[in-house]
Amino acid sequence: MVRRKELFLFFSLLLVLGIFLVYTYSHIKETKNEIFIKIEKDKIQQLANMFENIKNETLLENHIQNSQDLIHLLSNKRVRAEQEKRLSFLLSSNLKYIYLLTKDKSGRFRFLLDASKIDKAHFYQKFDVQNSSYIQVYKTKKAQIIKQNNIENLQLTYLHPIIINDNVIAILSVDITDKLQHNILELIKPLETFFIILIIFVFLLISMTIIQVIHYFLTRKKIFIDPLTGLYNRNYLQEILPMLKLEHYSIAMLDLDRFKVINDTYGHKTGDFVLSQSSTIFKNSIRDTDILIRYGGEEFLLFIYNRDKLLSTLEIAERVRENIENFSFNFDEHDINVSISIGIHENPNLEKNITEAIKVADKMLYIAKNEGRNRVIKYHEGRQRDTQSKDIHYVKLALQEDRVICFYQPIYDYKTGEIYKYESLVRIKDKTGKIIPPMEFLPELKHTNIHYKLTQRILSIVFNTFRENSFSVSINLNFSDFINKDIEATIVNELSKDKNLASRITFEILESDEIDNILLLKEKIDILRNLGAKISIDDFGSGYSNFRTVLDIDANYLKIDGSLVKNIDKNEKDFKVVKSIVNFAKEANMKTIAEFVHSKEVYDKLATIDVDYLQGYYISPPSPKILNKEELF
Amino acid sequence: MKSILLAIFITLTLSASCNKHQIKILEKIFNEISIGKELKIWSDNSDILMGLQQSNRFKTVENIQDATLIILEKNDKFLKKYNSKYIFVLNYCLLSEIPHSFGALFWKKGRPNIVIIKPRIEMQSIKVSKELSPYMEEKVW
Repeated sequence: MVRRKELFLFFSLLLVLGIFLVYTYSHIKETKNEIFIKIEKDKIQQLANMFENIKNETLLENHIQNSQDLIHLLSNKRVRAEQEKRLSFLLSSNLKYIYLLTKDKSGRFRFLLDASKIDKAHFYQKFDVQNSSYIQVYKTKKAQIIKQNNIENLQLTYLHPIIINDNVIAILSVDITDKLQHNILELIKPLETFFIILIIFVFLLISMTIIQVIHYFLTRKKIFIDPLTGLYNRNYLQEILPMLKLEHYSIAMLDLDRFKVINDTYGHKTGDFVLSQSSTIFKNSIRDTDILIRYGGEEFLLFIYNRDKLLSTLEIAERVRENIENFSFNFDEHDINVSISIGIHENPNLEKNITEAIKVADKMLYIAKNEGRNRVIKYHEGRQRDTQSKDIHYVKLALQEDRVICFYQPIYDYKTGEIYKYESLVRIKDKTGKIIPPMEFLPELKHTNIHYKLTQRILSIVFNTFRENSFSVSINLNFSDFINKDIEATIVNELSKDKNLASRITFEILESDEIDNILLLKEKIDILRNLGAKISIDDFGSGYSNFRTVLDIDANYLKIDGSLVKNIDKNEKDFKVVKSIVNFAKEANMKTIAEFVHSKEVYDKLATIDVDYLQGYYISPPSPKILNKEELF
Repeated sequence: MKSILLAIFITLTLSASCNKHQIKILEKIFNEISIGKELKIWSDNSDILMGLQQSNRFKTVENIQDATLIILEKNDKFLKKYNSKYIFVLNYCLLSEIPHSFGALFWKKGRPNIVIIKPRIEMQSIKVSKELSPYMEEKVW
């Protein structure tokens, strides 16, 4: 894409060149017209001198005092012949006609002498003149030059006044042919043609540039505007980045909560409607000084102008969140609950570049999602310290220094009072011994090789730990782990040689990754099942895991999403949803596990709907060691 | 005013081919004269005759005997018998050679010139509008 600045420079250059050529051409054209007068000027001056001599000799000798005297003198045929003969010596190939005119009482011009060899006029014959210069000679008493454009073969007419006693009594007129002009024109014609072609060429280029500019501005909208939402897209971000003063803006990453569920449940048309409607709400919630960009599918990047003292960055973000939450989305007679999570970085200029700043805002968004969605999380110094160091290199170093560990959280069978199994949860022990939770380093690793190495390390830790005991354990895997050949090889290698261990392992399929190939997932699940392992669907009710997919996968366990469980004691709707899931699982011959059991009230409520197993901080937080039942509650 | 327009018209038409514009000037002149009967024009110049015929402003005739006005480029002796017809010439000298001719249109030094001989139009009862006054002459010089 041609940039505006380059286009403008090119256009300016062409314009200057065009103006220069037009100026040169018009100058040549003007010179061409004037050159003949200049060439003839000397000749005319000579003529003027000669005419003066003739006048002095003829008129003064004959004591001519006025036009009547002159007419009287020249009415003599002999005198006339003499004078015409004298004048005829001046005739040449360029001086075609020489004649003496006088103005009669009625203002008509009449021939007194005609020294021309052709087209000779009679004495006192009327001569119709159509040019005011003849009159001007009488008025100004000065010689006049007429540029002849309309008379064939004539280029100039020189009118010389015959003045006696300060009165013009006659005009001596010379018609100069265009023979010389014609010759010169022939000579300079190639030069003129060259300039014309050059000018046409330059103007064609200018026209093309103008068309290009117009095209640029017409397509600019298509290039920079997302057609569905009418918001700027990432191309626009690339365009404005060089000019953007990051110190004047805070940045916010916005992501519609559970958008995939909306798409899967109501269809893409509804999804598009939600995106379009949400974009309108965003636009209405921000100011003209803010810049909103559709960053990805349901992800938006907002540059919040932070020089405005009236509204803080957080207030703008909260306004966006509240407006989305309060808006009633209705499409095809469906009421759709939409909320948004927002991660904010107030000082993106402190980062190395915009990419780093967006990463930080994205991390805040991730935290907002993990803390229950529909919230705004602002980046602050404390978080900065935590998150800045936990990039890929941090995890890589932790792997090298063997600081990747597993915590285990019991999954409790409240009916028997026994620990049914444990869920393995990854942690990193930093150099000071502090335990770092996964939300602070996992988002960085998404789709990186380190992520697979980390998964392999977890598998190795869990396999080694549980090979030594008789407990069962769950390991979280996402879809990208499932289809990774190295991870598959590790699992197959470890479990195929220890059937007992394999029978105690459950792989929990995380919903954090979008599963776009159910057939491939089923194929991989079959491999695990053939090894003797079990399959659990994690976070059921939040992501990909719709009823159809669950039935297709034929999982052993269904883990109900914590967001549905945590308020079950207070929220009747959540209670009904969880109850329905439990009933569905029983019908499908799957065991149910409720996570996020954080209080006695939640615990008791879940017991009433016959959930099979419970997991959560109320029972026990994750622990570096494998707890026994006496250590619970 | 009309004479000025005529003058401008003459000037503007100079650059183009003489014949074509000669016809237009002739049309202007004949438009300003009245001979008391319908103008039926004949000319010894076939181009002019055809030009006037194409313009449809004046009636032209193929036969000199049917004409009321004759436009002559040359002086032929046999024309003497048509003295009863109005004669307009295309050469200043013809005004002298054909005493019956009342006016002329000719080129002098590359410029168009019109001459109408006043005594002749009076004698032939030709009425001429004021617009042709600047071209009126008492005699042929």
